[in-house]
Amino acid sequence: MTSDSDQTIRERWVASPSPAGGGTTRAGDPASSVDEVDLTPVRTYWELVRMRFRRHRPAVISVFVLAILVIYAVIVPLTTGEGYKDPNIRKVWDPAEIVITFDPFTVEAFAPLGYDEIGQNVFVRLAKATQTSLVIGVAAVLIIAGIGSFIGAIAGFLGGRVDNLLMRLVDIVLSLPVLFIILMIVSFFGTGDVSVVIIAIGITGWTLAARLIRGEFLTLRETDFVMAARALGVHSRRIITRHMLPSALSPLIVASALGVADSVVAEAGLSFLGFGISPPEASLGNMLNNAQTYFIRAPILIVWPGLVLILIVLSVSFIGDGLRDALDPRQKIESGS
Amino acid sequence: MATYILRRTLQAIPIIIGISVVVFAIVYLAPGDPTARFRTPKVPPEQIEALIRAYGLDRPVHEQYISWASTFFQVWNPDAWGYSFLSGDPVLEKVLYRVPPTLLLMGSALLVTIVVAIPVGMLAALRQYSLTDKVITTLSTFTYAIPSFLVGAYALYFGAVLLPELTNGAIKFPSFGMESLGSRGDPLDLLWHLILPVLTLSVISIAGWSRYMRSSMLDVLHQDYVRTAKAKGLPRRAVIYQHALRNALIPIVTLIGLSIPGLIAGAAITETIFTWPGLGSLFVEAVGTRDYPVVLALTMVGGVAVIAGNLLADILYGLVDPRIRY
Repeated sequence: MTSDSDQTIRERWVASPSPAGGGTTRAGDPASSVDEVDLTPVRTYWELVRMRFRRHRPAVISVFVLAILVIYAVIVPLTTGEGYKDPNIRKVWDPAEIVITFDPFTVEAFAPLGYDEIGQNVFVRLAKATQTSLVIGVAAVLIIAGIGSFIGAIAGFLGGRVDNLLMRLVDIVLSLPVLFIILMIVSFFGTGDVSVVIIAIGITGWTLAARLIRGEFLTLRETDFVMAARALGVHSRRIITRHMLPSALSPLIVASALGVADSVVAEAGLSFLGFGISPPEASLGNMLNNAQTYFIRAPILIVWPGLVLILIVLSVSFIGDGLRDALDPRQKIESGS
Repeated sequence: MATYILRRTLQAIPIIIGISVVVFAIVYLAPGDPTARFRTPKVPPEQIEALIRAYGLDRPVHEQYISWASTFFQVWNPDAWGYSFLSGDPVLEKVLYRVPPTLLLMGSALLVTIVVAIPVGMLAALRQYSLTDKVITTLSTFTYAIPSFLVGAYALYFGAVLLPELTNGAIKFPSFGMESLGSRGDPLDLLWHLILPVLTLSVISIAGWSRYMRSSMLDVLHQDYVRTAKAKGLPRRAVIYQHALRNALIPIVTLIGLSIPGLIAGAAITETIFTWPGLGSLFVEAVGTRDYPVVLALTMVGGVAVIAGNLLADILYGLVDPRIRY
């Protein structure tokens, strides 16, 4: 679908006459004369996608929010190293402090969010937790997109009995009580192990991606360019990877964006229940769990990890919405906007 | 209808078998020996051998699977689901004991969701693009992004810590359990304990349902028969309640079936936060202590709930929408 319409869009824009040709004018424009030339620029599909994405304001704001979170999650752990698990008995429950000596410029203490029950710097810990969550979200989505597009592509391309069999597999996975299965895998195969958490979330979450890719492939299979590739004797594997998958990219991207949000929430839920990442390692879920234990003493600590979690989920799903609108070639761009 | 239900039930059988294979495989492949707890110097090795034989752990995988799976549906037999590793009680009894609290919690949450979400969604649809609509839509978008455990944690803090502080202890919601000591069977006490967990479970589903209700209502309002009803001069009330609302509710009805499995899973976290003695918190306990028979049974119950929920959704859809024929 995408590639087909992509083609028509490109043709439409490319078909606008070049100044050198100087011939055609915009039809239906009463003011047009022979000299007037259509200066509408030639735009590629991805330029159009970018334009359409920019019009989706929540998505654009979300890109900035997410960028700030990513910078925070990369820079702070880089500069503090293992500092996020350093306890400091003298600073237990200390409020926010920022100590900078300007003479030889050194940052002696930077804890705008204060310290927790064993004197760990909450600001630094939260950065590491954000990093953990984002890494798990992205890694789980790579698994989801990988399994999803593999199974979806095979089912959609081959059709028939194979398709039927694979879709029954999808039905089974869809009918699994997902949270229970993730809890089982994580608890039995290694509590606190990041890779087990990633795999558990990944292997239970690929059904949406598989269904979308399959649907896309079922229609793509009948398109002229795939027929042409087949008629030329192109190997099936090459048709799938070089011709069909790139055309089926947009549902995969949208499903992946939603997958990131779901995976981040799943990890936080697991750690919150005490099955995911356990202290001294930092994760949004275990920081929340910890804050809940002490929330009579320091109720503010439950706010920060929750806020980061909500920001990640919201921004990722808005970006997903924006991408869905932007990647759909049937969406029109009004000129001048 | 009867043949349809029968056909759907038959179609569910291979899926249930598939689920049981997956669940069994996870438990079977789990590292660690189920008898590890007994391997202390005090227990002689012969007894461990006897235990392994008694539990059938020395038999090949497929025999173990078949002996477990074939007894699973013998619900009339109290021993069918085996015995808890932890307490030695029959698993079936243990699970059944936890069913009423979960049903109570889920039912109340569902009721609150329906009662709130449908009018809210309707209001937003009837005043499309107004300030009310924008506030409702924005609020529900943001609320929908909040994970349930976050809502639970905040609800617990406000209800059980902040409110008592602000009101000098006049209003204090209970923070755990289903009943206060010594007031078993007191409905008021039970209601008091229900408030926070029900609030937690329903807040997010209200956000989702009201959005759904809004778009469903908008769809219907643009239909020809609504325009006809308006054109022939029916009072607005009659148009909304008799023509629009009844049709807008059709897709909502399927949500009831589809949300049941989500409520069981979502309840696992909420029940744990509020230590509600339901199926979800039993699962979390069992998984933490590696009580395999309980874990297996509950996961199967969860899987059957998903299938039953889907079936229920389809049946309800057929019942409320006369255009659907099976």
